Amino acid sequence: MNGYVQGDPMLCIGCRTCMIGCVVAHEGRHIFEVDPDGYDFHPKLKVIKTFNVSVPVQCKHCENPACMAACKSDAIHMKDGAVQIDRDKCIGCKSCAEACPFGAVQMVTLKNEANIDGTPKTVANKCDLCQGLPKGPACLRVCPTAALRFVQEEDLNATVQAKRLGTLKLTVAAEAQQKQTPVCK
Amino acid sequence: MGVHEIEDAALLFVFGYNGADSHPIVARRIVRAKQKGAKIICCDPRRIETARIADMHLQLKGGTNLLLVNAIANVILEEGLCDYDFIQKNTHGFDEFVETVKKYTPESVEEQVQVSAEDIRKAARMYATSGRSMILYGMGVCQFGQAVDVVKGLANLAIMTGSFGRPSVGIGPVRGQNNVQGACDMGALPNVYPGYQSVTDDKVREKFEKAWGVKLSPTPGITLTTVPHHVLHEEDPKKIHAYYIMGEDPAQSDPDLAEVRESLEKCDFVVLQDIYMNKTGQYADVILPATGWCEHDAVYSCCDRGFQKVRKLIEPSGDVKTDWDIIQSISAAMGYPMNYKNTIQIWNEVIELCPGFYGATDEKIEKNVCVQWPCRSKEEHDTGTVFLHRDGKFAHPDGKAKFAATDWRPPQELENEEYPLSFSTVREVGHYSVRTMSGNCRTLRNLEDEPGWIQMNPEDCQELDLKHGELVKVLSKRGYCITRCLPTDRVKKGATYMTYQWWIGACNELTIGNLDPISKTPEYKYCACRVEKIKDQVWAEKHIREEYEQIRSNMGIKVKGAVA
Amino acid sequence: MTIKQIQSTCAYCGAGCQILFTVDTEKNKILEAEPANGRTNEGTLCLKGHYGWDYLNDPQILSKRLTKPMIRKGGKGSPLEEVEWDEAISYVAKKLSDTKAKYGPDSIMCTGSARGSGNEANYVMQKFARAAIGTNNVDHCARI
Repeated sequence: MNGYVQGDPMLCIGCRTCMIGCVVAHEGRHIFEVDPDGYDFHPKLKVIKTFNVSVPVQCKHCENPACMAACKSDAIHMKDGAVQIDRDKCIGCKSCAEACPFGAVQMVTLKNEANIDGTPKTVANKCDLCQGLPKGPACLRVCPTAALRFVQEEDLNATVQAKRLGTLKLTVAAEAQQKQTPVCK
Repeated sequence: MGVHEIEDAALLFVFGYNGADSHPIVARRIVRAKQKGAKIICCDPRRIETARIADMHLQLKGGTNLLLVNAIANVILEEGLCDYDFIQKNTHGFDEFVETVKKYTPESVEEQVQVSAEDIRKAARMYATSGRSMILYGMGVCQFGQAVDVVKGLANLAIMTGSFGRPSVGIGPVRGQNNVQGACDMGALPNVYPGYQSVTDDKVREKFEKAWGVKLSPTPGITLTTVPHHVLHEEDPKKIHAYYIMGEDPAQSDPDLAEVRESLEKCDFVVLQDIYMNKTGQYADVILPATGWCEHDAVYSCCDRGFQKVRKLIEPSGDVKTDWDIIQSISAAMGYPMNYKNTIQIWNEVIELCPGFYGATDEKIEKNVCVQWPCRSKEEHDTGTVFLHRDGKFAHPDGKAKFAATDWRPPQELENEEYPLSFSTVREVGHYSVRTMSGNCRTLRNLEDEPGWIQMNPEDCQELDLKHGELVKVLSKRGYCITRCLPTDRVKKGATYMTYQWWIGACNELTIGNLDPISKTPEYKYCACRVEKIKDQVWAEKHIREEYEQIRSNMGIKVKGAVA
Repeated sequence: MTIKQIQSTCAYCGAGCQILFTVDTEKNKILEAEPANGRTNEGTLCLKGHYGWDYLNDPQILSKRLTKPMIRKGGKGSPLEEVEWDEAISYVAKKLSDTKAKYGPDSIMCTGSARGSGNEANYVMQKFARAAIGTNNVDHCARI
């Protein structure tokens, strides 16, 4: 199963440290020294706030991704348990952004790459799980409230199991839960 | 109390304090308290992050703080939830307090506060009966024309329920800037010497006169917030003729900026000592360049009274000096030499003169990383004080806490026909103060930049036909600015909020100079405003870009930037 | 390359978080800021703590770093002119002394700073106001 980063709204305080952490991880530490307008600031996750919820939204790394199916230029692939966009192949057609049911794909314009006609290049941008970076997903490392976690198969199974136990409480009659056959020793 | 105690409270009563935006690392403790099972009551006119995870959110109408606080005290009294034993042993003034508070029944205030009497009662019971209730308050209490009374009102709640002198109880102001505690500790206040020793106390003054070798004035000075008044409206000898400003930008941070600018223009001599050019610098007669954070050694005091070290990490570029060295050079030139060679010499003098800091030696701070005052003994075993008022002992001469109840008064400027919305300033999480530091940090700038936002209820936006991100004009009786509209149901209908860090969207063009009579803190959290739609958005966007370029050029920047 | 790790205190709010800086002393620059295990922050930092230090290399986004003393020699409204420290110090000292002589010590107002300067600078500033000028007119932005 593909892993993915998931935010917990009960822990998130909406501070967006994760969004900067994402950019720093992908652009590199040199951005603190270069021309302030010379690098791209395109976080691959976005903190969303409503009346009752604050939480970052990012790619779920679907097993059968709608973005990949929608891609017209073979730019989206499954690689080492993550859905990845090949920026060189991306033609900026926006099909993936429309197809993603979670709003996890956003079109971004790059400062230092151009189309054939010299206009700035626009490509699809989304969470890549910081693949290839030594310390793993940056967003969850920098979050001050540990509101983000990397969910893998066993975590998901544990969540599902906990919910099953919760379901028993809701659906099995009280007397059946209390009725006990004595344990013989 | 210490910040770490927050997470072990049984109940957090968070009043006018938005930790998530002001101090994320303190907010983290609130989140952890919740995880550990604490109940949370959040009193705030906005649906702030703490409100989302709270058990109760009392979304009061702005400007009604004392009505709510007194009503909660009323319920605790009426329902017999006081700690009478604690009250008898450790306090006085209870009877007069009862007399004032008994008028404030929840039913009598519910309409004005916009919180039901039933919810006020429920919150009061929760607060009084948790066993370990801790109050946190912030600028939503302090930045009103009636501020000190509300702080005392919150303290009343803690005193009447015996919530002092143990871990994870009491009342905690969470102070804003990194070293506001330290500036107070060091006596950068008009009424006290370092260590909160009164300038009017003859014995204290004699001590400082002896140490400093000069005669000292027994008259308390004026507060910073009254400087415009003293420049513009007072006659000699009360008139201010010279203003020496270190590390501040009143032309951006103070209320009613038009008046501040006029006072800076009319003040005979203004010195600005800072690290970056700022708005005040445009009016300064002299500019003295200083070293910044990471370029000098120092001690800061954090919000829970902890002395901690700040290190010099790099050599500053440019012909700059440390603040203390610049001041002592001027002092010497005026005939009063100080001759400090380094910060340790200064620190040693500080602790010799302040009994409460006497034990906080440089070695001890170095070794323990943090020493919370009071720390009275140089012996190694005295590592400071985690929480004050241990076992119910208070700072008053008789060791007892004093109840102090006052009647509510409304903010000075209320909504009216011309200015139908209420206006409050709030904080932007990724920026700091007047933004000369954070506004010059690349990624923080990318996250949020000029001209900032005005938070408005979606219904108000609909009435004015405003969309998310649209540039709008915000006006008060005193001035106006242009900013972007942020429709959000986290704010109530009729109320607006602007983050105060922006130079184009400069909310202090609008704010009012109404000061609390005791603390002299301005009423940043309440005045009346009007929001106007700007029909020509193309013009407005161009105007913002030009304004930004103008600011940059005024601030001495020659390179052109791809801004706003 | 000489790399050093130095622990310091964050300057962005009253929480007093501890930060572990990695510094290249030869190139005189900060390479990285990581959370240290401070009493309050326990290995965490917010966005300002993590990413709030590159103002030091003067990126000229909002305003320009001050690098030289300046005086408006032509009086109010005239341009600021760069001067040497000696001139700036004696100019300020003279102006303040004159003001004190003409209008008295209480006609001068000084401010401490709740920001980066630190406790020692605040101590020296209030001592300057009280002992050198002779006024208790010293305050800082606690109220704002």
